[in-house]
Amino acid sequence: MATEKFDLKQEIETLREDCLRPTRTFGRSSQIWVGFLLAVMAWGIFCYIRQLRYGLGVTAMRDYVSWGMYISTFVFFIGISHSGTLVSAILRITKQEWRRPITRSAELLTFVSLCFGGIQPIIDLGHPERILNLVMYGRVQSPLMWDVISIMTYFTGSTVFLFLPMIPDMALCRDRLTVVDTRYKKFKKWLYTKLAIGWKGTKTQWHLLEKTMGTMTIVIIPVAVSVHTVVSYIFAMTLRPGWNSTVFGIYFVAGALYSGSAGVILGMAAFRKIYHFEKYLTPRHFDLIGKVVLALTLVYAYLNMNEYWIPAYKMATAEGHLLSDLFYGNYSKIFWTCQFGTVLIPIVIMSFPKGRKITPLVITCIVIVIGAWVKRYLIVVPTMLHPFLPIQDVTKEWSTYFPNYVEFSVEAASLAGMLLIITMFSKLFPMMAVWEVEEGIEIDYDKEVAVELGKQRIADHAKAAAEAVKVSNGQLKQPA
Amino acid sequence: MSQLTEDNKENGNETNPESNEAGRRNFLKFGALAAGLTVVGGGLGKVFSSEKEPGEKVKVLNTGDGKVYEADVNHLQECNMPPVSMTEARRGIANKKFVMVIDLAKCDGCKKCTEACQTAHYIPSEREWLKVFKMKESEATAPYFFPKPCFHCDNPPCTKVCPVNATFKRQDGIVLIDNERCIGCRSCMAACPYSTRFFNWSAPSAEEVAAVGNIPYSPERGLPRKMGTVEKCDFCPDMLRQGKMPHCVSGCPMDVIYFGDQNEDAVTNGSGVTVKLSQLLEENNGYRHLEELGTEARVYYLPPKNRKYPVPEMKEDESGEKKDSKPKKMDMGSMQM
Amino acid sequence: MKSILKKITLAISITGLFCNISAAQDQPKATGKSEATIGLSYNKKADSKTAVAVVKVKKDGRFVPALNAKVNFYAVHDKEQQLLKSASTDNKGRAVIELQKGLPVDENLASTIVAKIENDKLYENTEEQMHFKEANLTLSLNPADTAHLVTAKLTEMDKDGKEVPVKGAELKFYVQRLFGSMPAGENNTVTTDENGIATFAYSKNIPGDTAGLITVAVKMEDNEQFGSIESKLPAAWGTSLAIIKDPFPRALWGVYAPWPIIITLSTLFGIVWSIYVSIVIKLFKIKKEGGMPNV
Repeated sequence: MATEKFDLKQEIETLREDCLRPTRTFGRSSQIWVGFLLAVMAWGIFCYIRQLRYGLGVTAMRDYVSWGMYISTFVFFIGISHSGTLVSAILRITKQEWRRPITRSAELLTFVSLCFGGIQPIIDLGHPERILNLVMYGRVQSPLMWDVISIMTYFTGSTVFLFLPMIPDMALCRDRLTVVDTRYKKFKKWLYTKLAIGWKGTKTQWHLLEKTMGTMTIVIIPVAVSVHTVVSYIFAMTLRPGWNSTVFGIYFVAGALYSGSAGVILGMAAFRKIYHFEKYLTPRHFDLIGKVVLALTLVYAYLNMNEYWIPAYKMATAEGHLLSDLFYGNYSKIFWTCQFGTVLIPIVIMSFPKGRKITPLVITCIVIVIGAWVKRYLIVVPTMLHPFLPIQDVTKEWSTYFPNYVEFSVEAASLAGMLLIITMFSKLFPMMAVWEVEEGIEIDYDKEVAVELGKQRIADHAKAAAEAVKVSNGQLKQPA
Repeated sequence: MSQLTEDNKENGNETNPESNEAGRRNFLKFGALAAGLTVVGGGLGKVFSSEKEPGEKVKVLNTGDGKVYEADVNHLQECNMPPVSMTEARRGIANKKFVMVIDLAKCDGCKKCTEACQTAHYIPSEREWLKVFKMKESEATAPYFFPKPCFHCDNPPCTKVCPVNATFKRQDGIVLIDNERCIGCRSCMAACPYSTRFFNWSAPSAEEVAAVGNIPYSPERGLPRKMGTVEKCDFCPDMLRQGKMPHCVSGCPMDVIYFGDQNEDAVTNGSGVTVKLSQLLEENNGYRHLEELGTEARVYYLPPKNRKYPVPEMKEDESGEKKDSKPKKMDMGSMQM
Repeated sequence: MKSILKKITLAISITGLFCNISAAQDQPKATGKSEATIGLSYNKKADSKTAVAVVKVKKDGRFVPALNAKVNFYAVHDKEQQLLKSASTDNKGRAVIELQKGLPVDENLASTIVAKIENDKLYENTEEQMHFKEANLTLSLNPADTAHLVTAKLTEMDKDGKEVPVKGAELKFYVQRLFGSMPAGENNTVTTDENGIATFAYSKNIPGDTAGLITVAVKMEDNEQFGSIESKLPAAWGTSLAIIKDPFPRALWGVYAPWPIIITLSTLFGIVWSIYVSIVIKLFKIKKEGGMPNV
């Protein structure tokens, strides 16, 4: 009765196959892509080994700029990692239906950027082999210690948060594996069976899963906020001009959400294109998440104003020197490019429905993500170059900073590592939460059915009414 | 470890000049502590055993009670051990609060203090534990030289942020770094508002390794240098344990730097002139650099009033050129007097 | 006042100028050696007698310490010089030797010491001599608590071996501190009377050690006849130093964290981690459920 244009079974079958298809192929282009990523990583690892051997002196960092690109990237990656929490948890809590095809890639982005964000400070260490000193002699008064605790907590949480909605999909993969011939079947079978943890889709299992999901959705939000707050504290807890700011915690959280949500759009666009998810990730999805990014960019812009306008009004001595350098000194070009190009102009673009169409939105988001990275650099480096005491009698090499090939190579390797994990993940697991999208389809179907039923009822009702009218008319006629 | 040998306990009697009751009491303490008295470093043994004549007395600071004793140099054993145990190096000298006063009126910027420091600690030339700045607060005010060691703050921002307790504050006020524990995160460098800390970006040079020799590491000496760790001015605790002043103090020809024990309310300059600390600060309007940061520095400055030398010349490009590519206004930082 | 200061400054600058000009004449001679001057002094302390030679060279118009100069010390007996010891100067230009007992004395009981730089690689030959007599400086404390008086008595031996007081010698009163002697007051110089006695009242609020002990030191400095003599004595006159019970309190900069931090952190993260644990338990329940036959 329902309708021919909406065949539920057929619909769900198509979805499942669409989602599982990428996990069954590993074509030439994928091989080249993975090879390229591995090559970039190999070079980065080589540079890092050199750094271990000859010391951090192989980087461009020196005593005045003792934190450089590594720490900027650390902040940036941790920022990107906020994407999963935002899109997934917040949209889940607010029961936004359009979140369904987005959550998996968002959660994966969180997981991966946390992996590589978390290792940045370790790459930056002079003695990474002494990392266990954190356990043996750890001081909880240190902001860096808060980072370690908080990031570990967030990492564990986001891994669980990524894993939970994967369980039913793992069962699906496990069950469908036998149907189609694939490579590495044995390994995949073992993997899917392990990860499906005996999922059969019983009522109790669904009930338990929904419960855990509900708890995690709520817990992960404050944890995510805590992470970026304490990341900002490694700067804000110092007395240095530019860092000595009470707005830093929320400023970093907002910056993280801003760059993270833009990162999600990039992920969405990439999977849509590569794995042909056009049917599920529609322009409407992009429009809606575009609005989210717009809102977050506005918040971020507001906090930027707080961060710079308040001290700029006062121009206190040491801070004044830093601000003049940012506003019209050595860093002015890059600073204003960041403020206008990656904050204000994107706001204007995304304010228009046309700006939230897929292509302009993706370009805007690329700009935002790069801008966020550069902004982290602008937070870290200029402050280090403006200590309270003047920089005197130091060679140029020791008193200026621009990352050199070692830092670029290591960061390129980090990025390549992120992309590699995402690629490998998408070649093993469905990049959409199949059951969630299914649920969405079912809801739509129910709605459709309801509409059909309603129509039917209205029609029946009208018919009955007409009959009644006829009857009554007849009755009326009769006496007449 | 250089230690007083058994027979020195007896000889200690002779070295002790006093014979009245108070003196004897002092001596009794000395004798009782002699066994546990960790005296002076391998460095000291090396320096003196070959050069000093027999019977010469060396001042020895007992780390137990913080008193200075004199000991016959021949009774100090030379062995290649750190000056003190790690626990002792972390605790510091009891009942002392070391303090430094720098008289800016006397400083003529000759950098002899820096030189003495660089030599004694084998510091590579690109960093200076004790740096002499040329300061000028504003256009109308006169420039002056500003030697800056580590301030050994009582509320040390660097020590607060260390995640592994590698940098620590001792009971004698000194802030030191244990480079066998430091993980090289450089949080302390970011936290220090005075740019006092330096990082070993690469391994020490071959010349340095040869000059330092194969001595055991101690935070009190900071040698041998370790790549990937942080270092800074340490107030020469190895010298202090010998009852000697830091190298910069004795190295300054103008007697700019005073050093002493705040508990004794006395500081001594390189010529051995000892003055009352509170009086010195009161009469000369002593202040601490950037007091508003609340770091409670252990280094005080006397303002450059009634200079004993001509005002230093400030060239626009002198610091400008080295600092930035563009010559611009001197970036002096805030400074209060 | 200001004009006086200006004049002083001017005088200093003029001196500086003059020195700069004269510096040109102070170039090392053709031999390549520098011309050094020796300042010689005799120091007597309770446990040691030393002869100190301070060697300086003129460099750029300023006297600077001569480093590594080998100084030979001679004792003079009946116009014959007898080598005592040699010592090299340190970075302050000081060469120190310990003097043993039994130095030859002349009819006035005075000894003569000559310090020489001979055939040094770096410095021209030069010499300096000094005469000195032995004197004794004994200290005693006022037994009463009313005033912190230190009495110093300066004596010398006469030819008969009898102690006779030294009159009119300037004694200075100090408090021994960690790195040097601090003057005990504004005017710490007292001249000995006909009994060879000088007395000085110490202030009552001198910081002492934890037991309230201080060391008083009395010095006669660079006396023409006797050289320098120093004598020390401990006195329980100082204000006691309060012993800090816990020099390493719980603090942000300390080894151990203040309780609020520990409590806050462990509460917050304790809650989160216990939720994680509860979720893992639920996952195990899901797994267990999967092991059961289909319902």
